[in-house]
Amino acid sequence: MAWIDYAYWIALLPLIGFVLELFIGKYTYKRGGLFANLAILGSTIIALGTLMDVLGGARIDVSVPWFYDGIVVGYLIDPLAIVMLCMVSFVSLMIHIYALGYMEEDPDKSLYFAETSLFTCGMLGLVLSNNLLQLFIFWELVGLCSYLLIGFWWYKPEAAAAGKKAFLTTRVGDVLFLAGIILLYFNVSHLPEPLSFRYIFSFEVLETIPPAHLTAIALLFLGGAVGKSSQFPLHVWIPDAMEGPTTVSALIHAATMVTAGIYLVARTYPIFMASPNALVVVAVLGGFTALFAATLGLVVNDIKRVLAYSTISQLGYMLCMLGVGSIIGAFAVGYSLFHLISHAFFKALLFLCAGAVLHGLANTRDLREMGGLLKKMPVTGIAMLIGALSLSGFPLTAGFFSKDRIIETAYEYGAATGNFLPWIFILVAALLTAIYTFRLWFMAFTGEPRSYLAEHAHEASKIMTTPLIVLATFALFFGLAQSRFYEFVGANFDSHLIEELAHLGGYHFHEAHAVPFIVMILPAICAIGGIGIAYGIWYNSRVDLSKYISKDNPIYKVLWNKYYLDYIFKDLIAERLFGFVALVAEAFDKYIIDGVVNAISWIVIKIGSVLRKVQTGVVETYATAVVIGVVLLIMLIGGVL
Amino acid sequence: MVGPITLILLVLLIGAVITLLTRTREQARVVALISSGIGLLIAIKMYLTYVGGAGMQFTESVSWIPSLGIGYNVGVDGIGLPMVILATLISFLCVIYAWGEGNRPNQFFGLVLLMDMALVGVFASLDFFLFYIFWELTLIPMFFLIGIWGGPRKHYAAIKFLIYTHVASVAMMLAIFAMYYFNGAATGTYTFDMVYLLDAYSKGVVSISPLWINLILGGMLFGFMVKMPAVPFHTWLPDAHVEAPTVGSILLAAVLLKMGGYGLFRVIIPLMANPDASTVFVLVIAIFGVVSILFSTFVALAQKDLKKLVAYSSIGHMGYISLGVAGAVAFGASEVPRILAETGAMYQMFSHGIITAVLFGSVGVIQHATGTRIIDDLGGLTKHMPKLAFIMLAGFLASLGLPGMSGFVAEFAILTGSFSQIPIFVLLAMFGIVFVAAYHLWAIQRALFGPYNEHLGDIHDIAIYELIPLAILVALIIVLGTPNPICSHLFAEVMQPTATHILSMLPQGGLL
Repeated sequence: MAWIDYAYWIALLPLIGFVLELFIGKYTYKRGGLFANLAILGSTIIALGTLMDVLGGARIDVSVPWFYDGIVVGYLIDPLAIVMLCMVSFVSLMIHIYALGYMEEDPDKSLYFAETSLFTCGMLGLVLSNNLLQLFIFWELVGLCSYLLIGFWWYKPEAAAAGKKAFLTTRVGDVLFLAGIILLYFNVSHLPEPLSFRYIFSFEVLETIPPAHLTAIALLFLGGAVGKSSQFPLHVWIPDAMEGPTTVSALIHAATMVTAGIYLVARTYPIFMASPNALVVVAVLGGFTALFAATLGLVVNDIKRVLAYSTISQLGYMLCMLGVGSIIGAFAVGYSLFHLISHAFFKALLFLCAGAVLHGLANTRDLREMGGLLKKMPVTGIAMLIGALSLSGFPLTAGFFSKDRIIETAYEYGAATGNFLPWIFILVAALLTAIYTFRLWFMAFTGEPRSYLAEHAHEASKIMTTPLIVLATFALFFGLAQSRFYEFVGANFDSHLIEELAHLGGYHFHEAHAVPFIVMILPAICAIGGIGIAYGIWYNSRVDLSKYISKDNPIYKVLWNKYYLDYIFKDLIAERLFGFVALVAEAFDKYIIDGVVNAISWIVIKIGSVLRKVQTGVVETYATAVVIGVVLLIMLIGGVL
Repeated sequence: MVGPITLILLVLLIGAVITLLTRTREQARVVALISSGIGLLIAIKMYLTYVGGAGMQFTESVSWIPSLGIGYNVGVDGIGLPMVILATLISFLCVIYAWGEGNRPNQFFGLVLLMDMALVGVFASLDFFLFYIFWELTLIPMFFLIGIWGGPRKHYAAIKFLIYTHVASVAMMLAIFAMYYFNGAATGTYTFDMVYLLDAYSKGVVSISPLWINLILGGMLFGFMVKMPAVPFHTWLPDAHVEAPTVGSILLAAVLLKMGGYGLFRVIIPLMANPDASTVFVLVIAIFGVVSILFSTFVALAQKDLKKLVAYSSIGHMGYISLGVAGAVAFGASEVPRILAETGAMYQMFSHGIITAVLFGSVGVIQHATGTRIIDDLGGLTKHMPKLAFIMLAGFLASLGLPGMSGFVAEFAILTGSFSQIPIFVLLAMFGIVFVAAYHLWAIQRALFGPYNEHLGDIHDIAIYELIPLAILVALIIVLGTPNPICSHLFAEVMQPTATHILSMLPQGGLL
């Protein structure tokens, strides 16, 4: 038997881990963590074994029926799924091992591991799903776990609020996604077993759907992805989500949540390909988010929030790649996924390093209170340097290869379609990325310690630094796999099919032009230049920024207030507008609807008090009435019979 | 040899009488536990031997008042049987939940059993006269449960509940009499036989003026819409819930409201099949559904009382049933989505019953422990009540429609199935989904999370006899929401054939 036949255990094992942790975790070794780690280790082994099978050409798609004709549950393994599965299980394993040290003191350790295990199960199940409904179910399971884990320290009001915010913001996207599924069902309901969504990727089916509907479906799916992958304008939950334990942030940002949106777009890429204009929106929105989030990353002082904005920005690159992929076809999925996976390695690394810093500094997250940490925590410092280099796209790191490919394709897209907007967006974003990343690194690890805590920082334990070293290795050398990876995942969809669909969507493929040399090296220049700028400002202090950092500077003020989006969404729309609607509804309910009911009863009582005069209290009157009534009744029944 | 339905009714009736006669709490609750348990076991036995198919099963027919055409006709199909199980299950769990009841326990448990019996009677009656008797019988135990064990304004709430729903019942009764009379006048056979009458009216064999059939339909619909309740006929419900004891609320929301939904499937759809019936009723039901969903959601957002919030969530969920019924009867080219919508609505009947029981059960525990239900006076309850927090969180998540729990299966089926027939209404309902999640999570955040409100003092976690029934329900919610044979069997083998059968009464393609 091959590994691939047991691939469903990849998602099932963490589920078992969840149940065991939840009920008996706290009575076992060190009060929890054992089952979750073993379960995810098992998932990783099976995923890697399955990867070998898939590399050998194996594919599988198995379903069993569920509650209605055509509604099925099942699993699908193809190159796109298996690379995700390997990444998710492996990165999640690293984070789980690290959490053994990080969460060691927490009184609810077993509950923590139960929830992260379920979180991993949700993401793995999402990737394994062979139909959209099941994908949606796991999609929501992931959302639930993020809600629980962000609010894991429930007694902190900010944590409870942040969990709710994350759930509700992504829920907006989820409803759009669900609407997309329903609209798709509406369009394929004439097919046999429409709810299995089994035939949707064939040309014959997509051809029959009106183009306007196709675009609507694609954009609704994109709405789901925007929520889950925290793209503009639904990105607002991610910075607040930093209230959870840092290991949770690492899980959310690298392995188990935000990549789900990108995966959805990649998984349904044939639909996007067949939808006129949808990919243009994807490209511009992704590029814009990349730049938008990068500008925000420049001003925050919270070490975790800087990383949070970098995640939004990098996810924008992935989405942009899928969008500009409209000129190259099936390979776009490979390019985008490559960045997704290299991002997972270096972002998990960065978050775990940030966690080590927090661990060493009694949970201080403010960069202004750090400084000089490299000497106190050398392993963490070096590991974080590697992560930062990779994130900035420093030549020859994993991030360089993956990001370079995207920027280059965006240029080709511009050359082919005349729309250079995505390219400009992500190129500027690349420069800013390097600046804010190294701002973080220089502020935290170099210079003099700026607080008592920073002076007394200490290196993390072995169980925490080992995953850092493993992840750092991948963040450095994963780029070596790039051409093999492109061939493998790029061939996930039949290129002939994608070409036909592109015709449907009105996209034209272009042969790769010779890109000018200067354009080719621009990403590297941006990365190195950005690092240089950061070096000049925050290491060498050649430029004094203090006169720009003030509330009087309008640009700074806008950035500091996050473009006022939080204010608009939370204060104006959620609280003022809908709070007002709710109050009006309640008043209407209480005074109008119930008022009418009470008015009717008042009138009836009034009439009753008039009729009361009929009630004379004389028994004869009552008796007469009863007799008349009975006679009438008998006559009535008699007449009927 | 009596059939299983009669057996359940007898066991519960005798149990109720014995319980009323007991002298100690110990005796009362043991007798109640045994008889409600036997009732549940018989219902489960019926479910296990139920043959998936359209027709009525476990039927019994005894002539009762032959001169008036009244018979003791009982039987269940794919919607009646799940409701019988729901009634007996919830009552049984209520007996366990109320194990600590100290105020007039013999009367309390006796009324619960009487309620159980009346509800089983409603869902199993196949004679309109019998149906109406049981329908009215449900009012009495609930009236006393609210009026005796209720809160400060219990008399107002009990009277309002009784009169409001009774007025609706009278409209229904007049409609029943009209059906009885016109059929008798036309065919010469005067009978209250439900299956016969509905069949006759759905096929249009009874000559009746359009005005009268629409009046009948309207009267019936009014009766059911008040019971469900649909906005704007809902204002008795929050008042009743706020004053009712927890067990009363659980029975009310979980089972009593289902009588209204049940009427839609059993009576309204066949009547709408009548060729003279106005198709406007499709729109009316759809509007009732959507307005209930949206309006209740926004009112719930403004609630300060946790129990009232849960009460409004019930109104919204019952709105999904109306929406699904409207989606099922409205015109659509393919019948696959229409059957999906109707089966989803049936599934929602069962699913909402078990979910709302968890909600009211956990709110009752909070009230018992802290003495308050005002959300802002709570806070951080997880610190002292971790088990309650777990159960309540599970219930609230199920209520907001989280996939993997039974509510999602039902709502997905309703929305997906109805979309092709009534797209605008479905989109409006979906607009509410985010706000449904919002008021649930906001309430949870303020009640369970954040720093513990020290004014509440040292409180105890949920008692074991309260935990067991709620945990059973949570497990059932998950079983009915995840892929497994039990979920598929209930949906596809039990409910779907009946839904198909009911829809087959309508003209090909549906109405409107």
